[in-house]
Amino acid sequence: MTHFTTNRRTVIRGLAAIGLAAPAILRGRSAFAQGRTIKVGHVSPRTGPLAGFAEADEYVLEGIRAKFAEGIAGQGGTYNIEIITADSQSNPNRAAEVASDLILREEVDIITAASTPDTTNPVADQAELNEVPCITTDCPWQPYFFGRSGDPANGFESTYHFFWGLEDVIAAFLAMWDGTGVEKTVAGLFPNDADGNAWGDPELGLPKPLAAAGYTLVDPGRYQPLTDDFTAQINAFKEANCQIVTGNMIPPDFATFWAQAAQQGFNPKIVTIGKALLFPSVVDSLGERGNGLSSEVWWSPYHPFSSSLTGISAKDLANGYSDATGRPWTQPIGFKHALFEVVADVVKRADDVRDPQSIVAAIASTSLDTIVGPVDWSVGPVKNVTKTPLVGGQWQKGDNGLNLEIVANATAPEVPVTAEMQLL
Amino acid sequence: MSVVDTHRVFRVTTASRIASVLGLLLLLALAAAPWWMGRADLRLLGEIYLYLSLAMLWNLLAGYAGLVSVGQQAYVGLGGYVLFALTIFGGLHPFTAIGLSVVIGAIVAIPVAALIFRLRGAYFAIGTWVIAEVFRLGFAQVSALGGGSGISLPVDVVRSLADGRDAREATSYWLTLGCAAAVMAIAYLFLRSRNGLALTAIRDNELAASSLGIDIWRSKFVVYVVVGGLTTFVGSLIFLQKLRISPDAAFSVNDWTAYVIFIVVIGGIGSLEGPIIGTVAFFLLRETLADLGSIYLIVLGAIAIAVMLVAPKGLWGLVQDLTGLRLFPLGYRVEPKQSRKE
Repeated sequence: MTHFTTNRRTVIRGLAAIGLAAPAILRGRSAFAQGRTIKVGHVSPRTGPLAGFAEADEYVLEGIRAKFAEGIAGQGGTYNIEIITADSQSNPNRAAEVASDLILREEVDIITAASTPDTTNPVADQAELNEVPCITTDCPWQPYFFGRSGDPANGFESTYHFFWGLEDVIAAFLAMWDGTGVEKTVAGLFPNDADGNAWGDPELGLPKPLAAAGYTLVDPGRYQPLTDDFTAQINAFKEANCQIVTGNMIPPDFATFWAQAAQQGFNPKIVTIGKALLFPSVVDSLGERGNGLSSEVWWSPYHPFSSSLTGISAKDLANGYSDATGRPWTQPIGFKHALFEVVADVVKRADDVRDPQSIVAAIASTSLDTIVGPVDWSVGPVKNVTKTPLVGGQWQKGDNGLNLEIVANATAPEVPVTAEMQLL
Repeated sequence: MSVVDTHRVFRVTTASRIASVLGLLLLLALAAAPWWMGRADLRLLGEIYLYLSLAMLWNLLAGYAGLVSVGQQAYVGLGGYVLFALTIFGGLHPFTAIGLSVVIGAIVAIPVAALIFRLRGAYFAIGTWVIAEVFRLGFAQVSALGGGSGISLPVDVVRSLADGRDAREATSYWLTLGCAAAVMAIAYLFLRSRNGLALTAIRDNELAASSLGIDIWRSKFVVYVVVGGLTTFVGSLIFLQKLRISPDAAFSVNDWTAYVIFIVVIGGIGSLEGPIIGTVAFFLLRETLADLGSIYLIVLGAIAIAVMLVAPKGLWGLVQDLTGLRLFPLGYRVEPKQSRKE
């Protein structure tokens, strides 16, 4: 959290009175001085194993804050929007704590969160209970919705989410595989975590649509995350002569699997894995064996979208990040920017920004073309959820190392294909 | 003339009398906090009480019974899952579920104790951790409770605590305050009982204690089961606040054991005052430094090492050595009588 408010003083006064407090905590400032400031909380995993997702936070927020400093013209006048960030430390317990702190202490008007169910779900749960408008992204919608025991008939009151779903990832994967003529036997690697259970779910996950598309899925069951032995899985895949490997893994698990597959002579033609292969740093760490791996692509510099807030194009935003930091672009950059595009749009349209009901109504009626594509909650698979386009991409060797190229766009033809799918 | 004639044996001191009066006043003031504090502060205090309870309980185990467990997260997580299972599937009121968690925790602790008490020293510590991992992996297989994905507590269950947001927050605050007060009272009374005397003897010297006829296995067993039950109770309250449980969060060794050990070690192990001082110190550090990310954890580690080297008995041990102050009248002391003759 970046600053403290007056309320903390009351508790400290209580403690100090009995001689238990130290002065270090007494810094603070009034939160209620400005009349027209909208406070927006943002929870993301800045540190810990998920830190890659929030790597670009500083850069993206800098741009957003510069824009917000000009003020946002709303229904009741011009508003300042103050963004208060909090680090979930990649820990759902901590995410719940900081979310409740943002809601109760900072009294944020809107709370946002991004990156994986471990961040979005605890934050959304706190927001729902406290009836604070909440917008989240960067987590497939099934783990978000069903993982929070959501009921499609009723949905949630205050919490809204935009991203894609498993049906999109399946379609994007199939689009990549279909043209290659590889034998349709697929190895499935699903961990026992929020994403893995959703992807492997026999009803809502990959098995049914894969079967419908004529693929045979070999699923040896859920493995425990951070396992160090994939021999059983590799043997099952070799026995079934799997040519394609898919699933949803965290980077260390994929690295373990991929190394053991090489040692044990399992050489599939296509490896398309969700989550693990998003980041250039991870794929680079695999060395030569990173070349040709494929993954879902939710955002890239090639996406033909631009920001509704600053007008910047996807290409310029990605290049700007690379120029500023010297690091390659990553997919969360676009979604982080889009999250605050939605926030600004909601503030513009809300009848009364001091009234949570009014903000929620404005979120629900959003229809905005963002840097990640259209965000519109009136069209969604379930209440509170809307989807953005998803395509398939492959890491291919370029002039400066591996680049993520778009190789299949049947799911979102507006995104141009930049290279041909290659077999391993 | 015997020693008894010339010396006085006593427990209660002026300091402990003042401390008990101030403590009661403080408890009253804190019980009234919902009327004079903001929601965020209530929430923070609630968390402080829960950590204080965990620290008190771990101190009973490690500081008195010599059972250095690094697996208390097994019971914290169990409490969370008991609350979720009983309210979501059993349809019980959260109060009932929280109450039952003590019993369930104690029952679960009995076979666990029988198993891990075969191990000693470092093996015991690792054994408790293994048990906690078994719990974590076990709950990760229960798909009705969300498996590895975790599950959220339905908003209706939380709303059934009380009508309206203020009443709900006050209720959940009082639950945590009551929990900390109860744990402290139980620890205090337990240590003053026969069992407690035996424990104190074990703390000071296990061999000597057993030569005095103390049944060490039984004493430790009773402590382990009582602490297991109460830790489960604290766990159910923790996850009533978190609203969401997943195996990694429920059985987190960092959140529910490492921080607790830190609190007890810097506060002063083997005293009732230590965990209180430690909890205050820990939250002061967390509230001021947590924004620093990884540096915060490095600072915590450095402080723990410094305290262990400079003041192995913790901050409270330091105070006690300097002043002889004791706030809880536990140990007996001997002092020459003020006499006119000689």
